[in-house]
Amino acid sequence: MAGAMPATEYVIGVDVGGTFTDFVGCKLGHGAIFNGKVLTTPDDPSEAVLSGLARMLSAHGIDPAAVRYVIHGTTLVANALIERKGVKTALITSKGFRDVLEIGREYRYDTYDLFIDMPRPLVPRNLRFEVDERMDREGRVVRPLDLHAAERLARELAASDVRAVAVAFLHAYRSAVHEREMQDILARFAPRLTVSLSSEVVPQIGEYERSSTTVANAYVKPIFETYVGRLSEGLRRLGIGRDLYLVLSDGGTVDRKTAAAHPVRLVHSGPAGGAQAAALYGRLGGADRVLAFDMGGTTAKACLIEEGRPNRTTEVEIARLARFKPGSGIPLRVPIVNMIEIGAGGGSIARVNSLGLVQVGPDSSGAKPGPACYALGGVEPTVTDADLVLGYLDAGSFLGGEMALDVAAARRALHDRVAAPLGLSVEEAALGVFQTVNEGMAQAAAIHALEQGKRIVDFALVAIGGAGPVHAWALARALGIGRLISPLGAGVASAFGFLAAPTAFEATRTRLTPLAAVEASGTRSLVDELAGHGLALLERSGESRAPARIDVFAAMRYVGQGYEVETPLPRELVESGDQDGLARRFEAAYRLLFGRTEVGFPVEIVSWRVIVSGPVPAIVPAIPEGLALVGKPAGKGVRAVYFAEAGGFVDTPVFNRYALEPGFSAEGPLVVEERESTLVVPPQSRLSIDASRNAIVAL
Amino acid sequence: MSRSGLGPVRLGIVWQRLNGLMDEVAQAFVRTSFSTVIRENWDLACALLDPRGRQVVQSSRSVPSFIGTMSRTLEAMLAAYPAETLKPGDVLITNDPWVSSGHLNDITMAKPIYRGDRPLGFVASTFHSVDIGGAPSPGARDTYEEGLWIPVRRIVRAGEENEDIVAVIRQNLRQPRETLGDIRAQFAAYDVAERRLMRILDEEGVDDFDAVVEEILERSEQSLRRAIARAPDGEYAGEIVADGVDHPLAIRARVRIAGSDIDIDFTGTSPQVARPINSVVNYTFSWCAFAIKCLFDPDVPNNEGSFRPIRIHVPEGSLLNPRPPAPVWARHLSGHYVPPVIFRALAPILPERAMAESASPIWTVYFKGAQAGGEPFVKMYFMSGGLGARSSLDGPDCRSFPSNISNSPVEVFENAVPVMIHEKTLIDDSGGPGRTRGGLGQRIEFESLSEGPIVMTIRHERVKNPPQGLLGGLAGSRGVNRLNGKDIPAMTQMALGKGDRLAFETPGGGGIGPPAERPRDLVKRDMELGYVSPEAARTVYGWGDAGD
Repeated sequence: MAGAMPATEYVIGVDVGGTFTDFVGCKLGHGAIFNGKVLTTPDDPSEAVLSGLARMLSAHGIDPAAVRYVIHGTTLVANALIERKGVKTALITSKGFRDVLEIGREYRYDTYDLFIDMPRPLVPRNLRFEVDERMDREGRVVRPLDLHAAERLARELAASDVRAVAVAFLHAYRSAVHEREMQDILARFAPRLTVSLSSEVVPQIGEYERSSTTVANAYVKPIFETYVGRLSEGLRRLGIGRDLYLVLSDGGTVDRKTAAAHPVRLVHSGPAGGAQAAALYGRLGGADRVLAFDMGGTTAKACLIEEGRPNRTTEVEIARLARFKPGSGIPLRVPIVNMIEIGAGGGSIARVNSLGLVQVGPDSSGAKPGPACYALGGVEPTVTDADLVLGYLDAGSFLGGEMALDVAAARRALHDRVAAPLGLSVEEAALGVFQTVNEGMAQAAAIHALEQGKRIVDFALVAIGGAGPVHAWALARALGIGRLISPLGAGVASAFGFLAAPTAFEATRTRLTPLAAVEASGTRSLVDELAGHGLALLERSGESRAPARIDVFAAMRYVGQGYEVETPLPRELVESGDQDGLARRFEAAYRLLFGRTEVGFPVEIVSWRVIVSGPVPAIVPAIPEGLALVGKPAGKGVRAVYFAEAGGFVDTPVFNRYALEPGFSAEGPLVVEERESTLVVPPQSRLSIDASRNAIVAL
Repeated sequence: MSRSGLGPVRLGIVWQRLNGLMDEVAQAFVRTSFSTVIRENWDLACALLDPRGRQVVQSSRSVPSFIGTMSRTLEAMLAAYPAETLKPGDVLITNDPWVSSGHLNDITMAKPIYRGDRPLGFVASTFHSVDIGGAPSPGARDTYEEGLWIPVRRIVRAGEENEDIVAVIRQNLRQPRETLGDIRAQFAAYDVAERRLMRILDEEGVDDFDAVVEEILERSEQSLRRAIARAPDGEYAGEIVADGVDHPLAIRARVRIAGSDIDIDFTGTSPQVARPINSVVNYTFSWCAFAIKCLFDPDVPNNEGSFRPIRIHVPEGSLLNPRPPAPVWARHLSGHYVPPVIFRALAPILPERAMAESASPIWTVYFKGAQAGGEPFVKMYFMSGGLGARSSLDGPDCRSFPSNISNSPVEVFENAVPVMIHEKTLIDDSGGPGRTRGGLGQRIEFESLSEGPIVMTIRHERVKNPPQGLLGGLAGSRGVNRLNGKDIPAMTQMALGKGDRLAFETPGGGGIGPPAERPRDLVKRDMELGYVSPEAARTVYGWGDAGD
């Protein structure tokens, strides 16, 4: 590397959220040295990023030249799709298929609701065009692209106010030839247009989902390019000479150019950072399998992390008409952290439903009027109101004491809407709300694990988000999880997670092989090829080759089944191709999941997945400077907190999180308060503070 | 205090856990199943029933045609094998259409669950097996032609598979491996159910499970009753004319609301026919329960309690209550008319809940033949038409109703079957005009690429009688079936040669309210986007009349 390297280098993570833009700065090889928030500037989010960065750098006396990189995650793509603020986009399809984008998959996202509406496509029917061409299922040309029609269409689009074009031809996942020809014609006759090809954005079978993803990419690409261009320029002006890195939806990190080619892959950029942070906290807490649980104001999110990596999927939906109903939004096929979201947050509204039972959510009181205890006019009881009545939250220390909570208002709301209709005391009603919301989250998490073929009891729970640490103990107990990890400073977890993620590239290959036909040379060459691909990308990203880690997984099943069980394979099995060894690995994984194996049924391998990752960044979380209290008393007194297992309210010691030093240990019940959240430690459990100041609760 | 003694909060938790339990059971089944119809279409339902056979909880992602049938199936099972003769580890099986859910392809199994030596209830499931042997066709004259008919028997005895029954199934099916694989997948799912149920009851300290069941049923019943009671008492009639096979068929319903009870009387509906379109009474009931739930209380749980306010009367020998051994394979061709005829009857008193007729029964085409390599295939392709308009909203285009089945992607289908699909587009002007418009149908064209013949089977409705509008709205377009440009009958089985082109136009949904009252901006938008032609806008909607 040319030039003198500054003695100390810094890395900075920036997460642009809907309300706040969060910053975390780390000294390379050390912990966090600052974190902060500024208000997001929705019209041009780069403004808040740049002005915030300038402020953080000067406040902490950091030389911009000493910044090694800035890693950025953003909700820009998601917001443009949700608010439909992309550019005017056209779609070009094979002849006879322009309505695929509108017809979709033909099912109704709610079987019993007669009044559902379907999402409007991002490209209206009068901007969807057909050209004559056809590939067959093998990718062979049945009819060549009609060049005259293609040229005519390109000229027409050039003369219109359309700014972006998506091209999605049938079977383009097999052969990109016609899509590329179309691209060339567009480049010649409509050079002003941004073009996205389905064969490049998502070369996967399934014309509706592929078209939908390609259209979404085209729709946001021009605004994304403008945005990162502006940011990059701004960084240079600030004196930060290095380029910008961006966080993909699967937690991977890429450079600006790679990101701008397929911005749709950044659709869950922010949440991916949260998952990466949870992975780091789990690793530091000694747990290699983690259920990350993020409970905020309106929703709870959960994802599974194994061996430091959030589990991934390629299916996601954005801009749903009914938030928690699959099928009501725009489907996207992008590599993404596999995360569930349910309508259970601090602001979720509690009521008595038509069955005469307590129901919590999925609707939320939002930030305004918010829970009744905010005293901003909310009259409906929420989860936060219940938490306050039960003593989990304290009226005087919410947000570090900046916002006093109104206990009387919380009690009144619970009384009027839940307790009185059911003939319960206010405390019983509050407990009902608390238990009901926890049970809903527990079930969603259990089913989520089962869908991925995992046993939830094998995981440790990492709680983040404002309400996460309040409810985590009860969720863990409902799931049979014995270990809870509550990191410090979880309020800016996403931005921190960006810094904590190793650069990683994943390559997958579908190759259906009966187990009986597996041979060493085949598995070895396939895995070497996939690994080589990842290593090359890793090298290009600036990581050295030597410390790369390579993980191999085979998706296996009994012949005839439709779901695979992903089986991790040690290197020696890949090398030897030992069929019995592979079968034993698969059966062990299958039995763990379903409690039985199918004797005498043949086994097959469906696909291979190889992950190549660079070294884990040497970053440890630490309390940002100025927050840690050393040698200060941690005790804040005692308050009455409700624990059903103790038969009611118990006098419970309260601690200041910032004064709890490594090595601290105590029996529950107790409560630990920090600025953004409160950790509840129930009876019959033990809290300890580890070297990284994570709180670990053994349940 | 409530009947179970648990109080509303604890009861709510226990109930929530039981719901989650059934979803886990369904998930365990789906993930270990061997057939695409299970894992892609979820053509299944899992349920927990009490010792008396009353359904308590049903898996949430179930097809609506299985609503409530399992109670009736278990009742018949217990008549053959009284509860006291059953032992732990037994599993009962049947696919008898008259006690199960209406055709031989639906197999129901149930396993008793014990707590100690006390019977606690049953876990049961119904699933669709595409292969059930026989020769199901539009020409079938009785049930025997339609496949293997399994009476109520024990397929597992005290944990040991009953090889006699298994052998009979294996011998009679073309692809027994898939069906037996699915059957065994359910045994594994039942184990999950037993283990998890015990854990829930232990953890929640539930000793008297019967009392919990009573209260769950009672509360569900009351929820639906309160909703029904808000509608005015009276008797309301509806009628739909179905195309039928050889002659038109009448579906007639008189819906009587008295307080919180609903009686649905299908007297006047056409008699059963010797064609495979008869709907056994269990199947008819499922669609009644579906319709009432949609209209009055969409969130009410599917259990015995929420069925109690609904009584149906269907004369024996009717199309909607045939006598065995009537052919029943394509029972949806009559059963899918049940929800719309109930909607039609109640539209005058529930105009804000009204929905015009949709392009149901669902359209499907079967392709049967051999791949180039000689391997046989049988594949089904689903095609939906327009949904009926709703009082406040246009009908969505091309949606499955009342069943809820997704289509196969064109690319996936072309990979599975040697056909090429040339077109899949919305049909202009197919939505029934109205103040709110019906959804559009679609045009699909297949070409056979196979050197050998492909046997194609269709059984379509709404070709002569399109989906009607409501309250002044007009009908959607009728369906069309064509081979090489010429109309063919809607119930057809025939061989396609290489290059033959088969085209379908699914019907459009009916409209609601007079078209002249449609907001002008919507007429304009429909023209701009090509949903409505300028000519139809002028002649049907009066576009241009008043300075538009």
